[in-house]
Amino acid sequence: MQGAILTGEDLSKILSTLILIVVAVGASAALWIGANLLFNQVRASWTRFNALAGYAVGFLGLLLLQGNRLLKPNGPDSDSITRLGELLWTPLLGGFIFAALAVILANNDNRTERLWIASGSGLVLGGLIGIRLAEHARPDLEVLPLLLSTVIFGGIGAAAARLRGHSPLRAALVGGALGWLIGGFGVPELGDGSALEAALAAAVPGLAIGARIGLSANADVVGRARIDAKSRGWIFLIPALFFVAVSLIAPTLITIWLSLKDQDSVDFVWFENYGSVFTDINSFDVGDWTSIFTSSLVILGVLIGLAGLAIGLVLRKRTGDGFAAGGPAFAPLVVAAVLVVFGVMSVLRGTIMNNLWWVFTVTVFSTGLGLAIAVLADRAKLESVAKSIIFMPMAISLVGASIIWRLVYVARDTSKSQTGLMNAVWVELGRWSTGSGIPTVVGTLLVWVLVVLGAASVGRSLTSRTYDKLPLRVLATAVLIWIAYRFTFDGIGGFRTNAAGETVPDTIFFVQNQPFNNVWLMVILIWIQTGFAMVIMSAAIKAVPTELIEAAKVDGATESQVFWRVTLPQIRTTIGVVVTTLIVLVMKVYDIVKVVTNGNFGSQVLANDMFEEAFLFSNTGVGAALAAILFFSVLPVMVMNIRRMQRET
Amino acid sequence: MPGSRPSIDTAIYAFLRRIPTGVLWLIVVLWSLPTLGLAVNSFRTRDNQRGSGWWNVWNDGGLTLENYDVVFSASTTAGLKESLLNSFAIAIPATVIPIAIAAFAAYAFAWIDFKGRKWLFIATVSLLAVPLQVALIPLLKLYVSGAHWTIPFLDKTITLIPDFDLVNTTTAVWLTHTGFALPFAIFLLHNYISELPGDLFEAARIDGADHFTIFLRLVLPLSIPVLAAFAIFQFLWTWNDFLIANTMAGTNPDAIATTIRIANLAGDFGRNEHLLPAAAFVQAFFPLVVFFALQRFFVRGILAGSVKG
Repeated sequence: MQGAILTGEDLSKILSTLILIVVAVGASAALWIGANLLFNQVRASWTRFNALAGYAVGFLGLLLLQGNRLLKPNGPDSDSITRLGELLWTPLLGGFIFAALAVILANNDNRTERLWIASGSGLVLGGLIGIRLAEHARPDLEVLPLLLSTVIFGGIGAAAARLRGHSPLRAALVGGALGWLIGGFGVPELGDGSALEAALAAAVPGLAIGARIGLSANADVVGRARIDAKSRGWIFLIPALFFVAVSLIAPTLITIWLSLKDQDSVDFVWFENYGSVFTDINSFDVGDWTSIFTSSLVILGVLIGLAGLAIGLVLRKRTGDGFAAGGPAFAPLVVAAVLVVFGVMSVLRGTIMNNLWWVFTVTVFSTGLGLAIAVLADRAKLESVAKSIIFMPMAISLVGASIIWRLVYVARDTSKSQTGLMNAVWVELGRWSTGSGIPTVVGTLLVWVLVVLGAASVGRSLTSRTYDKLPLRVLATAVLIWIAYRFTFDGIGGFRTNAAGETVPDTIFFVQNQPFNNVWLMVILIWIQTGFAMVIMSAAIKAVPTELIEAAKVDGATESQVFWRVTLPQIRTTIGVVVTTLIVLVMKVYDIVKVVTNGNFGSQVLANDMFEEAFLFSNTGVGAALAAILFFSVLPVMVMNIRRMQRET
Repeated sequence: MPGSRPSIDTAIYAFLRRIPTGVLWLIVVLWSLPTLGLAVNSFRTRDNQRGSGWWNVWNDGGLTLENYDVVFSASTTAGLKESLLNSFAIAIPATVIPIAIAAFAAYAFAWIDFKGRKWLFIATVSLLAVPLQVALIPLLKLYVSGAHWTIPFLDKTITLIPDFDLVNTTTAVWLTHTGFALPFAIFLLHNYISELPGDLFEAARIDGADHFTIFLRLVLPLSIPVLAAFAIFQFLWTWNDFLIANTMAGTNPDAIATTIRIANLAGDFGRNEHLLPAAAFVQAFFPLVVFFALQRFFVRGILAGSVKG
């Protein structure tokens, strides 16, 4: 070891971080608990509540003014501690005036006196604050806008109160005060006015607000209970609502707004950013679409699909149910769909097509594999061990997973030995199948044994007259025959023939070879998410009532029939949950692409593109448009998800 | 047919029937090989890692802790220690603060009567639909320069949130995590808290207890299981996060998280390639401990967290 693990520098860093966290958390907690204790006083002691609330209002209000440098400074700027004192002492002292006033009002139930005290002190306090306003905040009053805005806002307040069936006077006072403030400070130039004008601009609203407070009587027991309940709702909610508003609601709206502006967020370009995303050859390249029809994957897929279709149609004529899940037509159609999608996606390129390819592949394979493993593990010994190992990648970060798989995919110069597992296996396979030693003989025997086993399973299907799995077995056997043929005659695996006619090793550049490098990236996410799908579906399978399964077995159903006809329909909702969750998650895929290729070699995805446009190329408009596209494309799925959650609860 | 000799095709089929279990364990082995390979390589010397595949470990020998030693010593550019501290400085507040805030809100939505409660709850939970990429640009702007609003027609700009110069600090990262965690946390905690026995709270109210006391003395202790599930999920989420940490503090060496450190190491043109396995395992250490020690809670957290946006 090179010295102690933690040095003094580290310790001081830990300490300062801890202090920061403690101060931040402590201050927030103190504020929250303080608010609770304050409103506890409503029911305990009305006077005390008024005193505390009055102080809080006065302190916070004055702090806001002083903090924004709207009040005259209490002294010249100096070091920070003195500045803090100068910032605080007006609010600290001013709070007492407000508190005293609140206590007087809380203990006076004479309506006339209340009105006089409240409006008089409102006038005086407003005037005092106006005189203390800093010179740059003094308004150069203009009479017409001032009166106009006062009348308008007062009128709006009165009308609103009338509509809701309240007395219009109080609302008119509040509206008028607001209108006066806006007309006094909002409209004219600030900084040119006299102290008198500032006092006038602030005193009148003070008077109005004071009168509004003086007009209402002290709350009785019922009123206090209502204040207690209402305030508590807000105290418990405000922290959450604040964070949600600042970090989710406002940013989402702003992003959509920015997506309509140019790259410096100055001028409106409307939908130009969206247009440029769809016309950019990097994000949407369908120019080569005619190659779809010559792609061998598509042709093979279509042939298998037609076979599946034919089987399904014939079956429907005979039994009325041709395309049931797990039936004979099912496997060919699924295989055909995967082949066709892979064929089409390898031709239509670009960021958007990549995202669609990701969503299709990861969702289908994670769900399918997860379901298969859940079923296989359900009756296996050591079920929990198997499931733990499959599920473990969920604990590792996507960055960590990418590092793990980079090592698996490494391709090295063919003159050296391969350090990546996949290329090592691939090169070794090539060596076996083209060589002539004992491994080659053993390998040839092995592949032909596999062919025999496949043929046996086909034969079994024919002799036992259970045709459900026949097409799948035929397909598997065909693949095995092809592999065995290649192994025996041409050779299969990582080799090539060089100019001199010699057979030399050859590697696959899993990360670089377009377009199928995308699939190898998807494998990483499938590796992670299969565990998730498996755990959810395993729980659902265990929840299927055993009576149902027993009843089906008594009626003579085979195990696979029980699965396809009883278990699967029972867990359909769960499969829906897994699929929708995966769609949303995969749509946002970012870390894997970032770490493994950084979007190079034709592997760009929306989230990484958005990050680069917005934060590396400072092209805010296009970045925001990409984010918005992401948002609108997951929105329907998320809405479905949330609906379902609300139904469940 | 009873008594007849088993024919060859029955024997083959008996073998085929065992295939499913074999396939399961084959999948399990395939699933663990990548991680195993990285684990083995993290203990091999640089030359061994570059010279041969990890499966040659028995032939090569020479296992060493040197990679871990280098990764832990702060003096090297590949040092992870600093970023591990940063990751804790991010993950701990980003776990604790949302729990508190969400618990308040969940209690209010479940047990305090006020107008518009149901509507507000649905609105909050609907925010689960927002993918976090959508919020990144404005949030980064907020941390860089605060929030200001120019009032239309009056042409005056007022400051809504002052500029605290938070960009490139761990604070910016955990603040962002806090906001993003809330819709899901409120949803999860509300499900649980609203199912708590209401008679208990009613009795406490009649005895004169206020909402604050009920929340502290009754609701919090009763909600420990759901708080634990959320805490585990949120800790792993923030510890393993790359996107937010990279956006908010990706360029400041004093504030970057381990995930970014490792990603940078990976893009290092192979100079420190041999340290990556050890670094990745150090980063994964705490999640794996949580995984193996608290698997039940972990599964619950992951399942519940599957809806997060």
